[in-house]
Amino acid sequence: MDKQVQDVFNEGHKQANAAYSAARRRITVDPITRLEGHGKIDIFLDDKGDVERAYFQVPELRGFEVFSLGRPAEDMPQITSRICGVCPTAHHMAATKALDDLYKVDPPSAAKKLRELVYNTFMLEDHALHVFVLGGPDFIVGPEAPASMRNVLGVVEKAGLEVGKRVISTRRKLREFIAYLGGKVIHPVLGLPGGVAKGIAKEDLPQFQELCRDALDFALFTLQIFRDIVLKNDEYVKLITSDAYTHRTHYMGLVDENNCPNFYDGMIRVVDPTGKEVVKFPAQKYLDVIAEHVEPWSYVKFCYLKPVGWKGFVDGPESGIYSVAPLARLNASERMATPEAQKAREEYFATLGYPVHHTLANHWARVVEMVYAAERMVELINDPEITSTEIRRLPTERPSVGIGVVEAPRGTLIHHYETDERGILTKVNLIVATQNNSARMAMSVEKAAKALIRGGQVSEGLLNKVEMAFRAYDPCHACATHSLPGEMPLIARIRNAAGEVVREIRR
Amino acid sequence: MRREEERRSARVVVLAMGNDILGDDAVGLLAARALRYAFPEHVDFVETGEAGLALVELLEGYEKALLLDACVTMRHEVGTILEFGPDDFSRVVAPSPHYAGLPEVLDLARRLEIAFPKEIRILALEVEDPFTVKEGLSSVVEKALPHFIARAREVLQELLGHEQEHPSVHATKP
Repeated sequence: MDKQVQDVFNEGHKQANAAYSAARRRITVDPITRLEGHGKIDIFLDDKGDVERAYFQVPELRGFEVFSLGRPAEDMPQITSRICGVCPTAHHMAATKALDDLYKVDPPSAAKKLRELVYNTFMLEDHALHVFVLGGPDFIVGPEAPASMRNVLGVVEKAGLEVGKRVISTRRKLREFIAYLGGKVIHPVLGLPGGVAKGIAKEDLPQFQELCRDALDFALFTLQIFRDIVLKNDEYVKLITSDAYTHRTHYMGLVDENNCPNFYDGMIRVVDPTGKEVVKFPAQKYLDVIAEHVEPWSYVKFCYLKPVGWKGFVDGPESGIYSVAPLARLNASERMATPEAQKAREEYFATLGYPVHHTLANHWARVVEMVYAAERMVELINDPEITSTEIRRLPTERPSVGIGVVEAPRGTLIHHYETDERGILTKVNLIVATQNNSARMAMSVEKAAKALIRGGQVSEGLLNKVEMAFRAYDPCHACATHSLPGEMPLIARIRNAAGEVVREIRR
Repeated sequence: MRREEERRSARVVVLAMGNDILGDDAVGLLAARALRYAFPEHVDFVETGEAGLALVELLEGYEKALLLDACVTMRHEVGTILEFGPDDFSRVVAPSPHYAGLPEVLDLARRLEIAFPKEIRILALEVEDPFTVKEGLSSVVEKALPHFIARAREVLQELLGHEQEHPSVHATKP
C-alpha cells in the first residue's frame, strides 16, 4: 500500500479506536456485556493535587454467568473454555472438576493422571509464553530498553535466534500433545464428568515419553537463561526488590497432602504475610473464606479473606487482601514435589527471603513452576497406569451443587454450578484468577501513581511505570485477545477532589 | 511433522478468527463455515479465538492465507467489508501482556526463518457489537454476512488461481 495512504489509515484507525473506547465506557453498567477490554486506570486526587486513590480496572466475566443459566451443566467445559483465548484449558479443567462434584462421581485414577498430565503440559506451555514473550520485555530485554524493542522481537534479539526457534518449536510440540488428548487446544473436549474422553494408546507412548523429557530439558534451559540474563544483572535484582513493587499481603494456592503446590488438585492453602498458615480448605468451602468487596465507583469486585476482613486497600496481617499466581503459590506452599523444582525454589527463596513480597518476582516464580510442571509431566507419562483404558466412571447420582478448582497460570480458579435435578444450570459463579488479585493489583497501581503525581503535576512515564506494576500479574483481558485490527488502549483518567476528570492520558 | 509441512506447503489456509458466543464476533467463523464445503480441495479451514504467537503456529508452512475477522473501526458503516494486506497495520505497543499483533508475528516469523505464507489477505467485516456474550448476530451484520461470504469466496478463488496484485485498502458497502 502507498505509504501516505497507510499513514492516514493508521492514524484514522487510532482515532476510531479512541472514539470507540469513549463510546463504550457509557455501557459499563449493562450486566450482560463483557466490560472494557482495555486497561483503565482511575486516579483520584485530593485537595492538594496529590494522589488519594488510584484504581486499575480489569474486565470481568459477569455476562458469561448469565449466559450459562438454563443450559445443561455438561456443556460448561466447552462453554467456559471459550471465555478466554489465553487459558481455555484452565477453564475446561475447572469446569470438568465441578461436574465430577456435581454428579458426585470420582474418576478412575488413570483418568485423573491423564487430566493432570494434560494440565501440566498446558501450564508449561502457557508459562513459557509469558516468560519469553509477555514478561520478556521487562526482564530479558530490560525495563530501560526503548519501547520499540520491548516486545517479542526484542526478546529474540537479546536471547538469540536459536532460543526463539526453540521456544516456538517446543510450544508447538506441547500443543500437539494437548491436541492429541483434548482435541483442539482452544476448545478442548477431554474432560467428562467422571473421567476423560480419550487415553494414550500404548504404541504412541514412546513419542510422548520423549516429548516430556524434551519438555524438562526445555524448562531447565529456561531456568538457565533466566539466571544468565536476569539474575546476573544487579540492576534487575534491585528492581525486583524495590519498595515500589512490594506489598506484604496474604497468599493463596492449591497444595497437595505434603503442602507442595499442585496445579490440578488439592486443598486451597492461605498463608499470612509472615508465611504462617491461616486456613486450608477444600474448594467446596470457598464461600466461607473468600468474600468480595464492592466499591461504588467500580464494577470490579475485590476478593478478600472473609476470616480476616476487609480493611481497605492496605497490606499487612490485619488486611484480608491476598494474592494468587506463581509468587503466591510458592509462598503458600512449603516445598516442591519434584527434585529440580525444589532446587530452583531453594535458590529463589535464598535470594529473596521467605515469603517473597515483591510482585516482580512473579516472573522468577513462574520459571520455578515451569520446572515443576515439566518434571511432573515426566513422572506421569512414565506412570504404568497412564495407558490404562479405565478412564471413565459413569455418573449415576442426581446433580445439585458442584464446585471445582484448579490453579490457572494466573492463579486460583473456582467454578461453582448449581442445577435442577435434570442437570440444567440454575446458578453459576466463577472466581477467576485475575479477580483474586484485583485488590493487590489496585495497590500496585496506586503506589506507582503516588510516586509519579505530586501537587497535580504528572511525571512523564506514568503509564509505563504503571504498566510494569500490573504486567507481572498477567491480568487477563479476556475479550481482547484476537480482534483485528487490534489495539489495546491504556487510559489513565485523573480526577480532582470533586471527582471531575481533569486530565486523561492515553496510549 | 515433516508430512504435515509438506501437506501445508501446497495449500491455502482460511484462518477464521472470532468467538461464536460473542455476538457479532462470530462473523469470520460463520463465513468460513459457509465456504468450507465449496472448497474441498487445496484449502484448510481453521477456526481460532487465539491471537499473538498462536498465529505463528496456525499460519506456518502454508503457501497462502486468508484471514477472516470482525472489526470495529467506527470509521465505516456497520456491514462494510474491509480488506487489508499484512503490512497495513502499524505496529502496536500494547499494554496487554497477552497481546502480540499480526505485524510482530510476521516479523518474528521472518527473523526465525519460519516458512510463512507468501501471500496473506485479510477480510474484516465492520460489526456492531462483538463484546456481548450471546449467540447470533445483530440484524445489520446478519444482512451483510452473505456479501462478506461472497467476497471471501472471490478472494479465495483468486488465491487458488493466479497471483494477484497486492490489494490496497478499500471498503465495499453491501
